[in-house]
Amino acid sequence: MPRQLARDDQGNLIIDKRGPRFGAAVTTVVLAVALILQGQVGAVLVVWQWIAFTISTFFGLAWSPYGNLFRFVKRRFDLGAPSQTEPEGPPRFAQFCGFAVLTVAVILFAITGVDAVGAWVAVGIVLALSTLLAATGLCVGCELYLWGHRLRSRTAQ
Amino acid sequence: MISRLVITLVIVGAATLFALWWQRRDGRVRTDEAGRFTADQLQAVGLVDGSAEALAVLLGSPTCAPCLTVKQILGELADERTDFHWSYADAADHLDIADAHHVMRVPTLFVLDRGGRILARTSGVPAKVELRRVLDRDGTLESV
Repeated sequence: MPRQLARDDQGNLIIDKRGPRFGAAVTTVVLAVALILQGQVGAVLVVWQWIAFTISTFFGLAWSPYGNLFRFVKRRFDLGAPSQTEPEGPPRFAQFCGFAVLTVAVILFAITGVDAVGAWVAVGIVLALSTLLAATGLCVGCELYLWGHRLRSRTAQ
Repeated sequence: MISRLVITLVIVGAATLFALWWQRRDGRVRTDEAGRFTADQLQAVGLVDGSAEALAVLLGSPTCAPCLTVKQILGELADERTDFHWSYADAADHLDIADAHHVMRVPTLFVLDRGGRILARTSGVPAKVELRRVLDRDGTLESV
C-alpha cells in the first residue's frame, strides 16, 4: 500500500492515467473467462471482481487490487513516470458503476444459484463496459453527468 | 462451452468496434453547426467583455478529467492571442444552455464569434491545432 499518495493543488487525490486502463483490461480478462466457464468457477471469478470493485469504490483507488498490481508491474518493468495524471474521482465513479451492476449478479447468484441467467447478463454488461474503458479510457461520469442533472431538475419541478 | 465462447467474443468484439467508432468521433471539431449564443447566455457564463474577436464556452462538470485537459488547451490558446476570451461553466448550473444547444455530454466546447454565432463545436478533447485553425479563420478573415 502506498505511504504517500499524490495530490493536486486542491488536495484531491490524483492517479496515473494508465492505471484505470490497465485495471479495465484485467477486469475484461477476468469477466471474459468467467462468462466462458460459468458454473462454480465462473461465479467465484465474478464475486472476486465484485470484491475488487467494492474495495476501489469504498476505500479509494489507492486500495484497488488491480491498481496495486499495476504499481507492481510499473516497478517490475520500469515503465517510468506517468505521462499524464488525472483526478481520482471519475475512474472511482466508473468502479462504482461496475460495483452497482455486479451487485445484481451477486444477489442473483445468492438467490437462484450459479445458473441465474440474469446474473450472467449483468456480467456481460460489465464486460462490454470494461472493454470499452480499456480500449478508450472513457469517462463514464462525463457521459452520465447531464442525464443525471436533467433527471433531477425534471423530478424537482 | 462453444456457445459461451462465441457470446463472450461477440460482446468483446462489439464493444471494441464501438470503442473505435467512439474514439474517432471524440474531440472532432464540427463547424457545420448553425446557431448562436444569446447575449443572456453569454452573460450567464461570464462572457460580457466586448473586446474579444472570438469567444469560447466550455461546459463541464466538477469531476471530469477530460474537462481539465480542454481547460488547459483553452488557457494555452488564450495566452497565444489577446483577442480570445473563454469561460468555463458547470453544465449542471446552466441546464438551459445545455438544453438549448442539445449538449449531451461533458466536456462540450463552443467556439463563438464576438456576436455569439457558433463557429465550431466539439465534445471530448479536441486537438489544439484544429481549434487554432478555427480561431485564425475567425479572428483575421471572417469577422469584418
